[in-house]
Amino acid sequence: MNCRDWEDRIALYAGGDLAAAEAQAVERHVAACAGCQSLLGGLRGSLETLRQAHGEPVDAAHYAAVRARVMGQLERGLDTRWRHAWVYAMVVAAVALTVAVWPRPPESLLAPMPPAPVAPVAQVQVQVQPAEPVAHPAPHRMRPRKLAMKSPESAEPLVVKLYTNDPNVVIYWITGSKGE
Amino acid sequence: MKTLALVAMAEAVGGPAARAADRAAFEAVMRRQERLVLVTALRLLGNIEDAKDASQEVFLRLYRNLGKVERESNFQAWLYRVTVNVCHDQGRKRKRTVPLEDVPDPASAAADPHQSATGAERQRVLHMSLRALSGKERAALVLRDLEGLSTEEVARALGSSEATVRSQISKARVKMRDFVERYFRRRV
Repeated sequence: MNCRDWEDRIALYAGGDLAAAEAQAVERHVAACAGCQSLLGGLRGSLETLRQAHGEPVDAAHYAAVRARVMGQLERGLDTRWRHAWVYAMVVAAVALTVAVWPRPPESLLAPMPPAPVAPVAQVQVQVQPAEPVAHPAPHRMRPRKLAMKSPESAEPLVVKLYTNDPNVVIYWITGSKGE
Repeated sequence: MKTLALVAMAEAVGGPAARAADRAAFEAVMRRQERLVLVTALRLLGNIEDAKDASQEVFLRLYRNLGKVERESNFQAWLYRVTVNVCHDQGRKRKRTVPLEDVPDPASAAADPHQSATGAERQRVLHMSLRALSGKERAALVLRDLEGLSTEEVARALGSSEATVRSQISKARVKMRDFVERYFRRRV
């Protein structure tokens, strides 16, 4: 195993992220390897500096600024929601009012129609006599009837007679089969 | 968490009075969690104005998800996860990563750069080294080495496995150390 293979484990060791057995293996290697001693020293140094650099407290004014921005945004957002709620309420009220005053069809159209009066039927004596047996002719096949279609050319012209107020004037309008 | 439940209840019940009480309760929740959110965002983004924007978004998401968060077994893990996600989205929009090759030349040269570097300069270099990491590596390193979460807690906050988080942490530490070494080597 060369030093490249130790690099990840030494990096974890520098931050105290190795289990005891692995940590001991790293310690044994580092004790015998000048290059990895240098790597470990550099890792520890940079970690320490990083922690110092980020250890400074943040100014309280920054926290207050964030809080003010968030609360301001929530206020604006809630106001908008309440304004929208009023709009929705007005729309619902308008729809309800429209339905209430909408002209309805007369009741007579909506009411069910009464049954038509039935005229009394005189009682008729019907005497049924047994009919004589009738010899049915053999069924024959029915041929489809051909409809006699007159050709348009043979149709008679249409004559339209128009009377006017003047009894002496009568207008005849004679049209051909094609309407000319 | 009790306050969170009350806030969620007020939100569900509705009405102006309930909402006013709900906002006061929510502000109390925010006061308790603001350090976690703002400092984590600052460490991830490296800029206080960006961190404030991110914190604002995190708390608005918290307000919108009060019912859901109330059911979360680990409220802080939820907050860390949302903070990391918001910072990731914000960082992606602004593209503020610094490739190792783009490390600026040091202002002055000295025989022993590590000794002569001022504290302020070293801090600046460390900030730059964080920005040179990928988003996931940076999040893992910040939560583990700066926020002091355990590997298991980091994995829960990031929605990853512990093995993945350990790999990200080790790579991030090595990259950060390489960045610092490279910077000071160029001073010689």
